[in-house]
Amino acid sequence: MKHLSVAGRRIELDKDGYLTTLADWSEPVAEALAQQEQLTLSAEHWQILRLLRAFYAEFQLSPANRPLIKYVALKLGPEKGNSLHLNLLFKGAPAKLAAKLAGLPKPTNCL
Amino acid sequence: MSKSLLIINRQSPWSGPSAREALDIALAGGAFDLPLGMLFLDDGVFQLAPAQQPSALQQKDLGANLQALPLFGVESLYASARSLQERGLEQQTLTLAAEVLEDAALIALIDRYDQVITL
Amino acid sequence: MATLHVLSHSPFSDSRLSSCLRLLGPADGLLLCGDAVYALQPGTAQRQALDLMPTAIGLFALDEDLCARALAAPTRIQVVDYPGFVELSCRFDKVNSWL
Repeated sequence: MKHLSVAGRRIELDKDGYLTTLADWSEPVAEALAQQEQLTLSAEHWQILRLLRAFYAEFQLSPANRPLIKYVALKLGPEKGNSLHLNLLFKGAPAKLAAKLAGLPKPTNCL
Repeated sequence: MSKSLLIINRQSPWSGPSAREALDIALAGGAFDLPLGMLFLDDGVFQLAPAQQPSALQQKDLGANLQALPLFGVESLYASARSLQERGLEQQTLTLAAEVLEDAALIALIDRYDQVITL
Repeated sequence: MATLHVLSHSPFSDSRLSSCLRLLGPADGLLLCGDAVYALQPGTAQRQALDLMPTAIGLFALDEDLCARALAAPTRIQVVDYPGFVELSCRFDKVNSWL
């Protein structure tokens, strides 16, 4: 079983590295998850992660790339809500990677 | 040009996997930018009823999921006027902005789509 | 675009047949298979509803399912075998399966 250690706590991960228990998420957990992906979270990343958590709270599902882009454009404007910006931030796989770092389930309709 | 698909969604959210499967088809198709429509028919209109509490049955919140359809590019949403009326549901209380259509308009709607599937 | 509607559930246990009959367009067809062929049971409201459908609407039933249930189709209904089912699926612009 994969896991992370954050501030002395053991955080279980599934085989793809997503949190097993969504309630385990915290900002330090996000930092640790990002570190595993060789990523350092900037303010730009955090803005998207917070938005993604709001998306999940509202719709109870993780968005695929296209709806993610649409939602970011809707909330933060088209200069943030475009595939180039999101691909650069999240290594070309924004829906999958951002969902992982935001502590959401893996997007099911992301083929 | 992709073929258009109308998904006819006619089961209650609580009767089994059909309602969720219909939604999954819509979300997957929407992610590929297919021109999609969804029609709520028969007990399917109960998916649009307000104030449902899926947590009481330890189920996922289908109603919340349905709200994401427009973000997934599924903006053509319809409900059968007859099904609503038979079940005592009123258009203004529905949780999605679906266009309410009489049977004659539904026949024309089905005719217009390239492909149709009923769950 | 004409639609072939395919029903396979018993009309005595749910509303697929009655909803489908209301939504048939003037050039559409209806194929009964599986337990949906019970709609042809004589003396029932379902059979009567089928008998009253406009003649322009093609009504079909799958032979194997009729035989298995000892049902006879009235002349209004065209009985088809599986190759006939395939031919029908190609003849119409689209097929709507009522799952």
